Amino acid sequence: MRNHPPSPEFREPAPAVASRASGRAWIRRGSATPHLFLLPGFALFALAILYPIAQAFRMSFYDWKIVGSATSEFLGLENYLRALGDDKFWVAFGNTAFYAVATIVPQIVLGLAVALLLHGRAPARPLFRVLYYLPVVTSWVVVSLVFRFLFADQGLINYLLGEVAHVTDGQTSWLADRWTGMIAISALGIWKGVGWSMMIFLAALQGVPAALMEAAMIDGAGPWQRFRAVTLPAIRAALGFVTIMLVIGGFNVFISVYLMTAGGPAGRTEVLLTYMYNQAFGNLDFGYGSAIAVIVTLIVLALSLIQLRMFRNPDGGYVE
Amino acid sequence: MKRYIRGTAAALATAALAVTGCSAGGSPTTGSPAGPGSMAPAEPITLTFWGSYGNGGNSAQQEILDNTLIPAFEASHAGVTVEYVDVPYDDLLQKLTTSAAAEELPDLVRADLGWVPRFADLGVLVPLSDVMPDFQQLADATFPGVLATNYFEGKYYGLPLDTNTRVLISNPDVLAKAGLDAPPATFDEFVALGNALKGSDVSLFADGGLGAWNLMPWIWSGGGDITDAELTTSSGVLDSDANVATLQMLVDLYTAGQISSGIIGNEGAVSTSEGLPNGNYATILDGPWMSGIWGDQFPDFEPVYSPVPAGPGGSVSVVGGEDIVLTASSKHQEAALEFIRFTQSEEFQLALVPTGQLTVIQALGDKQVELVPGLKVFTEQLGTAKNRLAITQGSEVDGILNEELTPAFEGTIGVREALTKAAARIDELLVG
Repeated sequence: MRNHPPSPEFREPAPAVASRASGRAWIRRGSATPHLFLLPGFALFALAILYPIAQAFRMSFYDWKIVGSATSEFLGLENYLRALGDDKFWVAFGNTAFYAVATIVPQIVLGLAVALLLHGRAPARPLFRVLYYLPVVTSWVVVSLVFRFLFADQGLINYLLGEVAHVTDGQTSWLADRWTGMIAISALGIWKGVGWSMMIFLAALQGVPAALMEAAMIDGAGPWQRFRAVTLPAIRAALGFVTIMLVIGGFNVFISVYLMTAGGPAGRTEVLLTYMYNQAFGNLDFGYGSAIAVIVTLIVLALSLIQLRMFRNPDGGYVE
Repeated sequence: MKRYIRGTAAALATAALAVTGCSAGGSPTTGSPAGPGSMAPAEPITLTFWGSYGNGGNSAQQEILDNTLIPAFEASHAGVTVEYVDVPYDDLLQKLTTSAAAEELPDLVRADLGWVPRFADLGVLVPLSDVMPDFQQLADATFPGVLATNYFEGKYYGLPLDTNTRVLISNPDVLAKAGLDAPPATFDEFVALGNALKGSDVSLFADGGLGAWNLMPWIWSGGGDITDAELTTSSGVLDSDANVATLQMLVDLYTAGQISSGIIGNEGAVSTSEGLPNGNYATILDGPWMSGIWGDQFPDFEPVYSPVPAGPGGSVSVVGGEDIVLTASSKHQEAALEFIRFTQSEEFQLALVPTGQLTVIQALGDKQVELVPGLKVFTEQLGTAKNRLAITQGSEVDGILNEELTPAFEGTIGVREALTKAAARIDELLVG
């Protein structure tokens, strides 16, 4: 199949060429060249990403004073223990977990459904693809503010629910309570994310073998059976990729919360990253903020490893 | 050199912290730590001055600064150039924080008054009361509540630059409908107006939170405070009978639907700036900048300004505004102090009044009202206005007040119990 990665034999035309130009100079040049090309990018990566990460990790063990001339007191694991005993940290953790669960499942289900619909032949298909993808490329800041107005006390959502559909009294203060606030924030996450998973699934659907599909049809399989027995196994890798990326994205939710509820009222819609940000830049408590950042990183890392295991191919390989 | 590297490292790390939040959703803007102009040659001096005069598209202030005030200073101080760098207000604290970490602060900063204790505590500011021989003379000319914002642990780290305070702003149509020809002047009249509005779709009052900026006018006017004068304890002060009575008044009004849920942090509530002119709210507490906001959006709205309703403690509001501070890293201290002196002059102070900046000099109050009659109430209110707690953890105090008092407004906990819990948490900050 064409979109399988090329097997190792095809990838290495090197031996024949190498034997012709014998001598250490060639070998040294040959092995150094790719590294030299990588060096500038890696240097930038090390300076702008790796070094700050290491530094933030170090800060998490101190009562960190931001000014270089002041001495920071070494606290050991105190910042971490403080987080574990901090009620507000757990509220933020609960909200983050809620957001992750509430947004990931709909994004996968809706994204896949839309991809299946747009995969088939239909008029204006490119138009719909663009429309579904549009939220993905719009600015988080802009759509967060739009959703804040939609979910305002006198906003469109209350109007629709109360005056048009008559399912509520139209008086819900969405952003004034923990769970209604999280629902509003999650609604934004889903709306903005469906287009992205749709795009990945659309690409994956191209790789579903037509021959297998035909064979299944000849065997009398219905649409649901074909989806379960042919499509799903074929897009398994994409499914795993989307899930892992969405979990990472879910734990990184920040801007929408910051702009829609500002963590309020009374910190009840705070998520891990807004809490971290407020500790570091609001209270200048960089040690504690760094500890929270490290904890978030560990959680995301652990969840990603678990998922990699879950989505391991039957033949033992990992998803790409 | 080693210190410099360490500072840069810290700045990078703080930037990384902010960036952790961005991989899925963009990042909050991280201020660049690079400060211009710190390597001026010995002879002609360049002073760098950071502020947010141009914030919110208010070009009027920055134009006066750039085109009138700074040239006037430069004309009278040969060889000194002042380079003003405008930073959006929302980014300024973060930019100052990262720059402090990298030890690349400018010479002068127009700092929000709440930031002065924090940066003084970090050791990046020069105590003006130590280095200016004429400090006392300059300080005595300013409003005491405004001057107090520069105080931290026995020293003054800046001088007030401009100020503002909150007064009661009312919607005249709503007052008329309730049968009043003047806004409520006392707590009793305030509650009475609420009763008169019962059954209508107008709420008596709206505010955007329960932090010190929001609550202190009520607490001080009610005869209470957050801590004792020496900043040693909050227990026994915040949960005093006077504060319980004041807060109970607000909670009762809230329960009766007379105060908007914006006060407990509902971002979906109709905002104060929109709800007052639209007649959703009868009154709000706010500052002199509101007339500028309404001038564009609600040109027909004629707000009524009056002092904060007086309680047992009188009519006492909260001081806002900016201070000018000198950084410890400045290489041109004398020239910078000269510029600070210039900011206290009549020329500087009055030039900015028409743009909505209130003067910090008491003696200029009358001239200010002559220039802009609408500032009369604000100028009078400033006479008694007070500063919030002079501690580094002002934002923590705001967080505690919001967290502990919100349940009291929602009715799940008593007012006294909520205040006692908040006081216990503030005690911990005062010890630390």
